[in-house]
Amino acid sequence: MAWRRDSMDTERDRSRPPAIELRAATRAYGRGATAVQALRGVDLALERGSFTAVMGPSGSGKSTFLQCAAGLDRPTSGQVLLGGEEITHLSEDRLTKLRRTRVGFVFQSFNLLPSLTVLQNVLLPQRLAGERQDRRRAQQLLAEVGLPDHGSRRPGQLSGGQQQRVAIARALITEPEVVFADEPTGALDTRTAREVLGLLRRAVDAMGATVVMVTHDPVAASHADQVLFLADGALVGNLWHPDPQTVADRMVKLTAEADEFAGAAA
Amino acid sequence: MTNGLARASVRFRPASFAGSFVALLLGALIITACGTLLQTGITAHVEAVRYADSPVVVSGDPYARFSYQEGGERASTQIALPERSRVDKALVAKIAARPAVAAVVPDLSFPLQVVKKAGALPALTGRNFSAAALTAADSSATQKRHAPGAGEVVLEESAARAAGLAPGDRLSLIAPGGSGSYVVSGLISAKADGPSVWFADGVAEKLSGHPGTVDAIAVTPRAGVTVSALAGQVRQEVHGRAKVATGDERGAVEVAALTEGKEVLTGVGGSFGGVAALTAVFVVMGTIALATGQRAREFAMLRAIGATPRQIRRTIATEAVILAPVAAALGVLPGLALARWWFGELVDRGAVPEQVSLDVGVLPMVVAVGACLLAALTAGWVAARRPARLRPSQALGEASVERARPGVIRIVMGLAALAGGGVLANLAARLGGSDAANTALGVIMCFLLAVALLGPLLARLCASVLGLPLRAGAAGAAGSLAADNTRAQARRLASAITPIIMVTAFCGTLLFMQSTIRHASAENVKRAVVADHVLGSTGPGLPATTVERAARVPGVDSATGVLRTGAVYRAGSELNSTTVLGVSGDPGSLPKVLDLGVQSGSLSALGSGTVALDTTIAKDLDVKTGDRVSLRLGDGTKVRPIVVATYERGLGVGGAVMPRAAVAAHVTAALDSQVLIAATPGADRQAMARQLTALAPGATVTDAAGYGAQADRDQELNAWANTVMAAVLGGFAAVAAANTLVMTVLDRRREIGLLRLSGTTRRQVRDMMSWEALLVAVSGLVVGGAIAWTTLVPIARGLTGAAPYIPIGTAGQLVAGAVLLSLAATGLPTLALLRTRPIEAGSARQ
Repeated sequence: MAWRRDSMDTERDRSRPPAIELRAATRAYGRGATAVQALRGVDLALERGSFTAVMGPSGSGKSTFLQCAAGLDRPTSGQVLLGGEEITHLSEDRLTKLRRTRVGFVFQSFNLLPSLTVLQNVLLPQRLAGERQDRRRAQQLLAEVGLPDHGSRRPGQLSGGQQQRVAIARALITEPEVVFADEPTGALDTRTAREVLGLLRRAVDAMGATVVMVTHDPVAASHADQVLFLADGALVGNLWHPDPQTVADRMVKLTAEADEFAGAAA
Repeated sequence: MTNGLARASVRFRPASFAGSFVALLLGALIITACGTLLQTGITAHVEAVRYADSPVVVSGDPYARFSYQEGGERASTQIALPERSRVDKALVAKIAARPAVAAVVPDLSFPLQVVKKAGALPALTGRNFSAAALTAADSSATQKRHAPGAGEVVLEESAARAAGLAPGDRLSLIAPGGSGSYVVSGLISAKADGPSVWFADGVAEKLSGHPGTVDAIAVTPRAGVTVSALAGQVRQEVHGRAKVATGDERGAVEVAALTEGKEVLTGVGGSFGGVAALTAVFVVMGTIALATGQRAREFAMLRAIGATPRQIRRTIATEAVILAPVAAALGVLPGLALARWWFGELVDRGAVPEQVSLDVGVLPMVVAVGACLLAALTAGWVAARRPARLRPSQALGEASVERARPGVIRIVMGLAALAGGGVLANLAARLGGSDAANTALGVIMCFLLAVALLGPLLARLCASVLGLPLRAGAAGAAGSLAADNTRAQARRLASAITPIIMVTAFCGTLLFMQSTIRHASAENVKRAVVADHVLGSTGPGLPATTVERAARVPGVDSATGVLRTGAVYRAGSELNSTTVLGVSGDPGSLPKVLDLGVQSGSLSALGSGTVALDTTIAKDLDVKTGDRVSLRLGDGTKVRPIVVATYERGLGVGGAVMPRAAVAAHVTAALDSQVLIAATPGADRQAMARQLTALAPGATVTDAAGYGAQADRDQELNAWANTVMAAVLGGFAAVAAANTLVMTVLDRRREIGLLRLSGTTRRQVRDMMSWEALLVAVSGLVVGGAIAWTTLVPIARGLTGAAPYIPIGTAGQLVAGAVLLSLAATGLPTLALLRTRPIEAGSARQ
């Protein structure tokens, strides 16, 4: 099945470099006195087959972290390695092609092209890459995300949760090394959100995919293996096997500190 | 090949391409229409009918030509002569003496009026009897039998039948060269001559008013001589003194109006067409750029999941290739309809002879479709550069952030366009009439280019200044929201106001230039014509004798005949033509009827070999009173009269005044258009008017105000042409403006949904959008008005020496039109958006 990988593969993965690695990554917006430091030197490595949630108060640099890690944005200094390959200095074209094959995306919204059918949307990365479009695999993935009969519909005919599931199927079509998800449950109700998170979890467990998810929802974060906490552009801690309550407590504390910091600055 | 995204996009959401589609369709429409008129102007020809059996025709050159050196190269310019140019009668005998020539027929024609109490004869043409050989249906033997004697005429059969005339009847006729009573000696039927009267050759020559010259000489070869051999021999004899026409060129000799008609058509199709095409391209590019910009999120998402910039650009280009040919092809048919209507109007107004037919060719259509495709591709490419270059991280961002300010290159280019407009405006000031109008369009194009380049800066400025009262709370929450929206979205505002600026600038300049000229002319005429009575004519004109007879009417102090003709003069490397008044009677009494506002010299010195000039023309020619000036009379004859006076009230009256005797032999028909009468004090005006009316058939008597009613035909045609141009360009720009506004409003579905969700009432949303529409309209009107004013001032100063004349009514209509257009094009789509439930609209994906 599309989801399963044998244990031999998993063994080999362990010996290979981390799925994603950041070395002293910084990102500043603007210049001079008005410059905003969104990332202040982040060091971290995420193993293959892991599910990581990134949390932090507003303005902590979550989105910047995700964009730099995914090659959507370039760090101002430092390095980003995807599967051991340095991507910081790649040309925009090389980076695009790398994203196409080795990275999958699930956004909060604006996910699907309204002019294409669901199946065509799932196949879009292969189509852009000019590869043979594997319709059988796309159909299988759609079945796995619970939409076996929706391939010929348009995104507009689906609910928000169904659209997000199509996006997950699309993110997985190229068997990427990392799937990045930016608030994937932000626009969904609790039940639909749980289904979507379950699908991401299964992609990790059954397929050996690596998932990095930015969220502000402690319940969503609790589906991950590990939660990373960001504050003011720096990693300030992590939590293995999180449960919603512990995550929520840490967040409350971080948010209070951030407010204090902001107050002092002002 | 392409990845099919473009096709899917166009097929799935045709509505989102509707805006671009409309722009492309209109662009093709306007280019096709102008292109077809231009092509007709270039290829227009008239088949020879009267000269069908005469392979070679000798006639005068219908153009005044002038060649000069420019940058080491010989350049030349030409202008259609205002009157028919004729050939020396002496050439007839010389050509006849050539060995290849079998027969030579001199051809003469002149307008005739019939003195008759009741029953109307159609307008008659007088001809020489030998020319009947060209067209008579009978053999030459029959004609000989009919040949009229000195007091006799031969009448065209159908005209005679219509008037109930038979051989033996008497006919009283007035011709430019004299009048008399003639016995109808016979009837002949002739093809293509219309209702005609043939006189004995000697009589016809005298009656034509220009003895010694003939309109044309038709030549037939001896058996076995080829046309080119014949033409060669004739050319040798003519030796450049006249034009030798063969083939279709003969048609142009036959229909003298063809030359001017072609000029009108190439003017409309070429000069105006060029501006119209530029405008069309401009609008198409703007619309496509807007449509592409609105889909920035979609492109950013594609970038994020792995589309290269090249793929994005190609998708956008493919969309253009799918869209443009279809839209443009659909615009071709209405374009042809517009060309047909326009052409028909030009024919009806006598600007183009009716023998010419519209030349519908493939070339204008190909050009139209090609230009639209190219514009769409270019616009798509330019518009795609931004989303393609954009960092895909933007796809993750919620708010679409406006780029801070336009680049340096853009600003520099914008300022350059602004400066170019200023320079051109000053150049336009030195040209007259229709040239000024065409140059004015160029000036506007320069300014519009500047607006396009500096748009966002300009829009922010407008929004900041005009939005001040709104932000201050003068119009409540809706007003302040509107002001904030427009200031934050300067780019969107720029897209919306540019077409409004176009409407205002085009319509304002064209209409107010016309009103300025019309107003100044009317003022001039009102002040210049001080005669007590103006004797006019409903027919071709008043014969020269009328003025003498009018002078003998009791109570008439002085009578001055006015023969209206034209002259061509050279200003720099340009040839211009102006109206010339050929005045008869004592020049000393001229001030009694005509007060031209003499600046130097005196009109009473207007004798043989002299001219009085309008000051602007004198300035163009760089001459003062006492200097000699080079002019070409209506038929192209070169003269060098002495300037005896300069005057200021030329516009609308006449650019030059000469003695009638000096011009009478150089016009197509030497008939006076008016006789100006000064009455002795205490004369019985009514009795005098009655007697004056009886002087000539079709004579009318009015007071001085009646002079203005008979304004010059050129000016009427110019006025009409300007109005049509304003309507076409303004209408085009108005549709573009509506199109753009609808596009920008529909793009805000999500924003309006969010506003509704956060507690804004429908009414508040409507008010907010109305305030924004008003802001758009006022910004557009202010900037467009500024452009129109900057363009008009130097031109008005050059033409009339005064500021532009802007009738409040027309200006009000223009303002009301722009405001209504903005309100409707914003309000209607807003209503449509408000019909969906806010929750759906708020979560709508763009």
